[in-house]
Amino acid sequence: MPDDLAIRIENLSITYKVSLEAKRTMKNALMRASLKQKERTRIIEAVKGLTLDVPHGSVLGIVGSNGAGKSTLMRCIAGILSPTEGRVVVNGKISTLLALGVGFNPALSGRDNIILGGLASGLNMDEIAEKTDEIAEFAALPDGFIDLPVRTYSSGMYGRLSFAVAVSMTPDILLLDEALSAGDAAFKEKSFERMRQLCAEARTILIVSHALATVTDLCDTAIWMHKGAMVAKGKPEEIVDGYLKFLNVGSLPSNYEDM
Amino acid sequence: MPVNEGFVPKIQVFEPHRASLPPLIPYLKEFWTRRAFASELARFGDKAEYLDSRLGKVWLVLNPLLLGMVYYLVVTIIRPGGSVSGMTRLDHLLIGLFTFYFAQNCVTAGALSITSGGRLILNQAFPRALLPFSSAIQAFQQFLPTIPVYIFVLLAGKWAYPTTIVPGWTWNFLWIPFILICTGLTGFGLALVFATLNVYFRDTTKLLTYITRIWMYLSPVLWLPSSLRGNMKILLWINPLGPVLNATSRVWVSGESLTQPVVLGCILWAVASIVIGGYFFISRERDFAIRL
Ligand SMILES: Nc1ncnc2c1ncn2[C@@H]1O[C@H](COP(=O)(O)OP(=O)(O)O)[C@@H](O)[C@H]1O
Ligand SMILES: [Mg+2]
Repeated sequence: MPDDLAIRIENLSITYKVSLEAKRTMKNALMRASLKQKERTRIIEAVKGLTLDVPHGSVLGIVGSNGAGKSTLMRCIAGILSPTEGRVVVNGKISTLLALGVGFNPALSGRDNIILGGLASGLNMDEIAEKTDEIAEFAALPDGFIDLPVRTYSSGMYGRLSFAVAVSMTPDILLLDEALSAGDAAFKEKSFERMRQLCAEARTILIVSHALATVTDLCDTAIWMHKGAMVAKGKPEEIVDGYLKFLNVGSLPSNYEDM
Repeated sequence: MPVNEGFVPKIQVFEPHRASLPPLIPYLKEFWTRRAFASELARFGDKAEYLDSRLGKVWLVLNPLLLGMVYYLVVTIIRPGGSVSGMTRLDHLLIGLFTFYFAQNCVTAGALSITSGGRLILNQAFPRALLPFSSAIQAFQQFLPTIPVYIFVLLAGKWAYPTTIVPGWTWNFLWIPFILICTGLTGFGLALVFATLNVYFRDTTKLLTYITRIWMYLSPVLWLPSSLRGNMKILLWINPLGPVLNATSRVWVSGESLTQPVVLGCILWAVASIVIGGYFFISRERDFAIRL
């Protein structure tokens, strides 16, 4: 892989095999076996034959409607899901902030969750202790909330804390999946600021967002995913334009069809 | 801030897998560097469970003690008298029960650790074996306070029935850490198997409640290892906890040393559980995220 690439994705396909059973249990499996039935499953191709290079220091926006496979792609780059076909090569330390926030345990305090999240992502205790206050300050939680159980947080506070944790890890590659929608206008401004700073430090950022303004503001490249495939790649303005037209018209522009 | 500060080029390749192992050395390295995650998770697990409740801590000690009493009644009512004195039988039963629960907690909590790992598994990449490992640490932390309980009962028994034979200090007690490590490793290895099964079949933990009960009756907890005759002796060997519980009774209750076959049995079961469980779990863990 060339040195200037942070991520290289080659012909990547990811399929889910979904069981149509209400619950997968041994009981059901034995019943099926005794009746000589097969488990009813459906194959969902979440990502289909995607090829993409992301150079170091670039900010890539990913747009697409629900179910386009954006989150699946992000999870694969983070090493959480493995490819069904093709391969992904990643060069650098990754920090993720995926759709549902980091793995917060609602019974534990914000501080304890920061510690756990940090340890899981490979930091050591000293590094985390150094960062906790910084994170709490950035998330701008009301007084004392950092030591209260996370279940007492409002969804905005939860989102802000998640974002603060993800950007504090000084990753080489930052994956943000619908993470910027959290928080009020003031926090949004602050998080944009932080993202621009990360860009200036030549870190690589991938942003999935339904707020298309985010993509045009922050990204230098964008891709549009539709039903698991990449239908277009280019300047954020153009991609967002095309995507908006598609949303209004409801069909793919003809010139994208053979891409 | 310099751009490449602390930047270690670290290239990771993600490719399709077919139920085979990922490169083991990096896996184990990652596991080792994040061991603090497992121990903190265990600590926080306790915190969430017994949040500030002193009663919670008391319960940790009271629960096995009461169970011990219940089983003791059952056993003495079924088989009154016998060649071994009542107190010795109680001592054997208590420490056997506590050790068995240590292993059982490793297995049952570990079996749930993946399916209840939810967002942590969906949103972060780390060696998944850390989760059942954390359960094992927690099980050990819950085992520790039962040791003083055992010692207290032992001494109280000696005081009430001066004829009871209680071992004085002997170097043979140095076998205890060995026994506990083997118990923990065996429990962790089995937890890996059941945690994996539970991802595929969500009723595994239900089945596990029956398995652990039968398992205890087949283990030298409610009965003494020496009470087995003839072919039945095989129960002490084909049971993954057979050798360690046999050893537990010898060292804790009688202050005896361990025979070579027992030591070998302990080691073999620990290694076999880790290797088989580890293979089963690690070869499938990349599947976990899509099955939660
Ligand atoms: N855990 C899962 N199990 C089965 N199918 C899934 C799972 N997650 C996502 N999918 C399917 O994969 C497709 C892509 O989903 P996703 O990557 O979440 O899309 P997006 O983030 O673009 O909305 C969808 O059709 C969705 O139903
Ligand atoms: Mg999504």
